[in-house]
Amino acid sequence: MSTTEKTYRSKVTQTEIDMQPPDHAMPAKRDAEPLTVVEPAKGFSAKWLALLSGIGCVVGFSLFEAVTFIESNFASSPIATSVLAVVLGVFVLSVSFMTLGEVRGYRKVTQFIHRRPKLSELARNDARQATLDALQLHASQFTRHSYAEQCYKRFTGLLKADHSSAEIVEMYRQFVAQPVKAKASEVVKKESMASGSMAFISPNHLIQSLMILWISMRTIKRVAKVYGLRPATAGNWKLMKILAQNLAAQSIFDLATDEMTNQLSGSLAAKLMENSAEAVAAGALNVRLGKTLMRLLEEEK
Amino acid sequence: MRNLLDSVLKPVRRASGAGSAQFAEWFMQSRHRFTITGLSRSGKSMLFTSLMTILKYRSEQQYQCLPLLRYLPMDLVENMWVEPLGDLPEFPVEEHMAALEQGEWPPATESVAGFQLTVRLRQTHSVKKYLLPFTDIVFEFIDYPGEWLTDLPMLDKSFTQWSDSAWAQQMNEPQNQFAKDWHEAVSGFDFEQPPTPDAINLLVSKYREYLLAAKAQGISMLQPGSFLIPGSGFDWQEYGFTPLPSRISSDLSSPWTQRFTYHFEVFQKNWLAALKQSTFRETDKQIILVDLFEGLNHSKSHLYQLRETLSNLAQTFVYGDPGWVQRHLLRQQKIAKVAFVATKSDLIPAAQKDNLLALLKDVTRGATAQLDKDEIQFEHFLVSAIQATDAGSNEQALRYVNSEGRYMEATFEPLPDSLKAMPADEHYPALPAGVPKDHLARILNGNGLDRLFQYLLED
Repeated sequence: MSTTEKTYRSKVTQTEIDMQPPDHAMPAKRDAEPLTVVEPAKGFSAKWLALLSGIGCVVGFSLFEAVTFIESNFASSPIATSVLAVVLGVFVLSVSFMTLGEVRGYRKVTQFIHRRPKLSELARNDARQATLDALQLHASQFTRHSYAEQCYKRFTGLLKADHSSAEIVEMYRQFVAQPVKAKASEVVKKESMASGSMAFISPNHLIQSLMILWISMRTIKRVAKVYGLRPATAGNWKLMKILAQNLAAQSIFDLATDEMTNQLSGSLAAKLMENSAEAVAAGALNVRLGKTLMRLLEEEK
Repeated sequence: MRNLLDSVLKPVRRASGAGSAQFAEWFMQSRHRFTITGLSRSGKSMLFTSLMTILKYRSEQQYQCLPLLRYLPMDLVENMWVEPLGDLPEFPVEEHMAALEQGEWPPATESVAGFQLTVRLRQTHSVKKYLLPFTDIVFEFIDYPGEWLTDLPMLDKSFTQWSDSAWAQQMNEPQNQFAKDWHEAVSGFDFEQPPTPDAINLLVSKYREYLLAAKAQGISMLQPGSFLIPGSGFDWQEYGFTPLPSRISSDLSSPWTQRFTYHFEVFQKNWLAALKQSTFRETDKQIILVDLFEGLNHSKSHLYQLRETLSNLAQTFVYGDPGWVQRHLLRQQKIAKVAFVATKSDLIPAAQKDNLLALLKDVTRGATAQLDKDEIQFEHFLVSAIQATDAGSNEQALRYVNSEGRYMEATFEPLPDSLKAMPADEHYPALPAGVPKDHLARILNGNGLDRLFQYLLED
């Protein structure tokens, strides 16, 4: 076979390298590695330290005053003075540490809300890297071992070099935003059940309000944790507006049920009905609280 | 009494069974028929092997593959199974995986094979889940030698038309480089002699030599491709034919023209028509696999002849959107969605993928013009059925283990984004990547299949 084959210049240069090829890992499994939220080890918290050292101060100063009163020789009791000074120092330090944590938590809430990604805008962005950076900026706020952080890790493991912005955003929705939302909905559902149960068994309105207040605070904390946000006590103030709506609505409902109870002359059946209605209302309002909080922490529309 | 009751109830049970099967087919099944159209060496077999393996591991072992495939969400997949497709032989996926295990790529397809893959999805709708507890997504795939595909356009031609067009193609670049011996043989051939079996065999074997040589040099438009592989059901030794010079083919009284016309008609009737009915059955979605590396490896003129081949093939299939009534009630099938897929996209650095995609769009320009005319949806994709390469030391480089087991780094100059931009005296040699030892993980990490099937499956 005679062929007049031309010679072509190669546009690929090849060299042998003295390395072993890397082994590709199998893709992550869904069930074998469930996303488990690791709670940080509970040690001696700053709150407890402040409380105890405060009590220590009160007790210490009381003792100190007692000693000076009894012995009147202030200069002759240097050890007691030293101990009191140390306890006071610890108290001041721990209060400062706690205050700092609260300030950071408060700022984190503000940052978290302002740094929420606008996913629909990111999907239209031609610059793939800018989309990844925006998502990374948001994800950098997730607390370690939170559900959101683990979902995000899994999402980054699935990324490939040729995924476009729209595909990255779609995957982010599928593997981070939607699972986190589903998990938060689960939490809200559980909390609203708890809220309803507490409202049902509460003997009077004061206890009922306190219970609802406590459950509502707990709901805020737990939902925020799912989203990777740890707002601390001061940070919860940012979210308290929603809580206030919750409690205000509850009070209006109380008035309505009180009036209905009066009409029914305070029978046992009426009491049961009142409590049932309040339980349903408390549960429903807790759901509203949770859903509003979820909207506040989700992607910016 | 019992027998009497049975005889009465049997037809009722049978009708009821048939009715429930029909009900399941109508309301619980979403059937997707795919034609995977690919020339020889375009990577059809590896794509099927990879797809079956990925879906198996995704469904049975919950590996998070195909993240962009939202149509088959992992948490809704209840089960997946493979069944034979009609009378077709089963697709040899086990043999292909065994070959990969031995460090060899799956062998070239020499006969037809098919399979039906069903993925059962749980129903999540609160009401529907009591009435229709699941939905089956049924895929039908047929693997066949790419050589058969190039023969399909011959079905609508007369012998003289085909002979003239084949002859014209041989005169063009790059085919003319390999057709010299064949042309010399025809010039020296005595067409005055009667077309005896020996004389025909002599001519056919010369033509076959040309086809084989051109195939080895990356030419895709070779007719009849069925003469080239042993698995074809056509007896080319008995009913062989070749293109004839126009001075002979235009003379209808020539015994050679008459004999070859007869053989050509036997080829059309006994082989091609049956082949189209059984293998290239009517479907609603088409994946056209294109191996751009074959062209890049050889020359610019190879890419031009690839464009011509794809344009010819696009005229072979029936395109159109039949609509719901025609599709479901009248059972009419037309290809309503087409995906052009450049395979083996792992053989270029990630930085060059935009150029490869642009080149794919340019190479398929003739075919897409046909689809535009018929208002058919189409899209272009880059796919790697297995990630056989690793990232290199810079953006323009990648690494791979060659067939001798040596780890190589290949640095690419920028790929052309159109045929016009491809230099006439330069080429991009195809990387002879061997089968990686961790081939299973690399199949599961393959790229682009999720994007492709999401496009084809979504409404």
